[in-house]
Amino acid sequence: MAPYLSMGEAHRRIADYLSRVADSISSSDGAALASLLAVSSAPPSTPLSDALSAFPDFPRLAADRYPHLSDLLPTLLRAIHSHSLIRFADAYSSFEKAANAFLQEFRNWETPWAMEAMHTVALEIRLLAEKADRELATSGKNPDKLQAAGSFLMKVFGALAVKGPKRIGALYVTCQLFKIYFRLGTVHLCRSVIRSIETARNFDFEDFPVKDKVTYMYYTGRLEVFNENFLVADQKLTYALMHCNPQYEANLRRILKFLVPVKLSIGVLPRITLLERYNLLEYADVVTSLKRGDLRLLRQALERHEDQFLKSGVYLVLEKLELQVYQRLVKKIHIIQRQKEPAKAHQIKLEVVVKALKWLEIDMDVDEVECIMACLIYKNLIKGYFAHKSKVLVLSKQDPFPKLNGKPV
Amino acid sequence: MDRRDMASHRGRSSARGHGRSRGWRGRGEGRGRGAGPSPPPPSSSTSSFSAAGATAADRGGDAPPIVGTCPDMCPAREREQRERLRDLAVFERVGSDPVRTSPSLAVKKFCRTISSTSVQASDIRPPPVLRETMDYILHLLDSSGHKFEIIHDFIFDRTRSVRQDLSIQNIVNDQAIQIYEDVIKFHILSHQRLARSCQDSDASSLCYLNMEQLTKCLLSLFDMYDMIHKNNSRSSKETEYYSFYVLLHLGFKIPKMVDSLSLWYSNLSASIIQSKEMIFARTILRFYHLGNFKRFFCTIAAEATDLQLCLLEPFLNEARVRALMYFNHSGYKLQLHPLRYLSEILMVEELELETLCRLCGLEISKNEDIKAFAPKQASFCLPASIPQSNGIYISRENQR
Repeated sequence: MAPYLSMGEAHRRIADYLSRVADSISSSDGAALASLLAVSSAPPSTPLSDALSAFPDFPRLAADRYPHLSDLLPTLLRAIHSHSLIRFADAYSSFEKAANAFLQEFRNWETPWAMEAMHTVALEIRLLAEKADRELATSGKNPDKLQAAGSFLMKVFGALAVKGPKRIGALYVTCQLFKIYFRLGTVHLCRSVIRSIETARNFDFEDFPVKDKVTYMYYTGRLEVFNENFLVADQKLTYALMHCNPQYEANLRRILKFLVPVKLSIGVLPRITLLERYNLLEYADVVTSLKRGDLRLLRQALERHEDQFLKSGVYLVLEKLELQVYQRLVKKIHIIQRQKEPAKAHQIKLEVVVKALKWLEIDMDVDEVECIMACLIYKNLIKGYFAHKSKVLVLSKQDPFPKLNGKPV
Repeated sequence: MDRRDMASHRGRSSARGHGRSRGWRGRGEGRGRGAGPSPPPPSSSTSSFSAAGATAADRGGDAPPIVGTCPDMCPAREREQRERLRDLAVFERVGSDPVRTSPSLAVKKFCRTISSTSVQASDIRPPPVLRETMDYILHLLDSSGHKFEIIHDFIFDRTRSVRQDLSIQNIVNDQAIQIYEDVIKFHILSHQRLARSCQDSDASSLCYLNMEQLTKCLLSLFDMYDMIHKNNSRSSKETEYYSFYVLLHLGFKIPKMVDSLSLWYSNLSASIIQSKEMIFARTILRFYHLGNFKRFFCTIAAEATDLQLCLLEPFLNEARVRALMYFNHSGYKLQLHPLRYLSEILMVEELELETLCRLCGLEISKNEDIKAFAPKQASFCLPASIPQSNGIYISRENQR
């Protein structure tokens, strides 16, 4: 319990906070203003929130003292108050009103001095919405605050997607929107902001701050993974990896989580040490199966981590690696034959492939193997042809197992 | 069929995207195509139809949704109007009189431009009437007096109107779900029949529009499943209906999906993904991408449900043509591929396979009664339009 607080002291604290907010605005101090708006990171009991509890008439105090900020300050205090009472849905609603008032003011300020504060508002509204939705869900109500936050941020984006210095702040807000859309699963909504960023003449991508570019490339890279555009995904995720601050290991891991499957799809295998370093061992067996041509191992790995891979959206990407594993298996058979009988090594009986698969506990008949060989040859994973009647795969003498060389199958 | 559908389907994407509630994407039912304000979304739980995308009429999501009172399949007002305008479908006419209909024959038409402010309760049918309407409309599928395209057109339009009435009344419950499942079943059966009965370009646009509506309906149904899941209720058919969405990804000519399959899976619960029907769908997709045509066809023959088979049937020849392409490309030119062998692997009648080969530009040679084609024929090319298949054919020797 907070110690007893006199009305006078409570009043003093609230007035002090309000005057700091007002001063930061009148002196265009963006950093100071930003720190005053960080509602959601506050612990339940702060000197200010104790004061608000002790002095319930704070909205009137704020409105009377600063009538020109009467849309912003009372609701801001309400948000802080509700948050300290662990009433997150209420805190969100109040904060959204304050944020709207702030946005109005922000639009009127000509210079981008308040960008840091605007970004804080963008971050805070998302964090508060997440807390609010959790609260609503557990009490059986409909969690709709995060979606509302998304709508608000679109308005903010609109205010920043303009000619002039404010546009630099747009990418940060874009990234907050991405986080919301990914969390809600409404990823298709990313399209319109991406279009604005990438095609509008107001933006020069290079001008944006690096950390925003990294986040942006990470999310847009993930979208490309969903759509199986591996070359573009590789580009974007690699950019994110290269420019990510090396100290942020958690972020590096997040990027690698998606970059590894993409790289595998274009034939680039990571070292197991990399997977160990960043705790991505779910991919270890997949990589090993590609090295060894071990179809059984791939299937086991997919089965063991099925839920995880499906949730992150990489399952189908990994499943499609099966063709490369077949290629590797046939290559191994070829190598063994070359050692035994080099003259005839380029001819592989389909029955031998069937036997190899059986040894891996995979049940396939010769017709199925023929189908798959036809596919491998068509997709240029094997150079050669198969003779239907003799049931033999004939490999080209030169480079029968072309590497992918950075191109997906 | 109204061509406006196609254009507005493509146009509808992201312009109105943000601010849309997640629960109900309102795919055309109860929503004017770009005309007028949209009626409120069909569930009170998705009432936060946020500011950015909403219009004043949408804010009426706070008002209770309309409760329909129309007792007939078609509101009296519309019956009289259409009699006057001679706008009666052939099934709605008493005798063959083009200006007379009756309450037992007339069915409410789909109305493109509807705004929630001008609609009256007497024009909207409540759930029991909608169920009766559905039963009546669907029984027309069996009628033999008319060309299938005409029957299809009628059912297509009138079921759309049923969905519209459901949507305007914000009804999301077991009954509504059953209606949607029946509508989708109609679209799937139509998909198969249209594909079989018509080969010309008019019909293929009918097919396309049917698929488009099927997809929309399916996605709306999934939103409804999501909503009733919150009340711990589920449809007994849901895993099969989820599997249809996966199977739709096999076709080249299917209208573009909004979301990728990977994204769709990431939002799906494990119990659905692990269901028998979903595993079937995922497995045959895998076989297809691997080129394992034998297993692809075998598995379909062994495990597909009736509706799954209907949905797949028009695609089967596409798969067979692809197999021919691979074999022609990768085979040894001096060792022919016997059609009998291929017809077993691809589960198609030899004669039909022969037709397909010729359509692809493959020359068939005949040697001592054995028909075959030699690989590496440069004349091979993917045909522009592939005839629809008669399904899975298992030769008598292979039947057990």
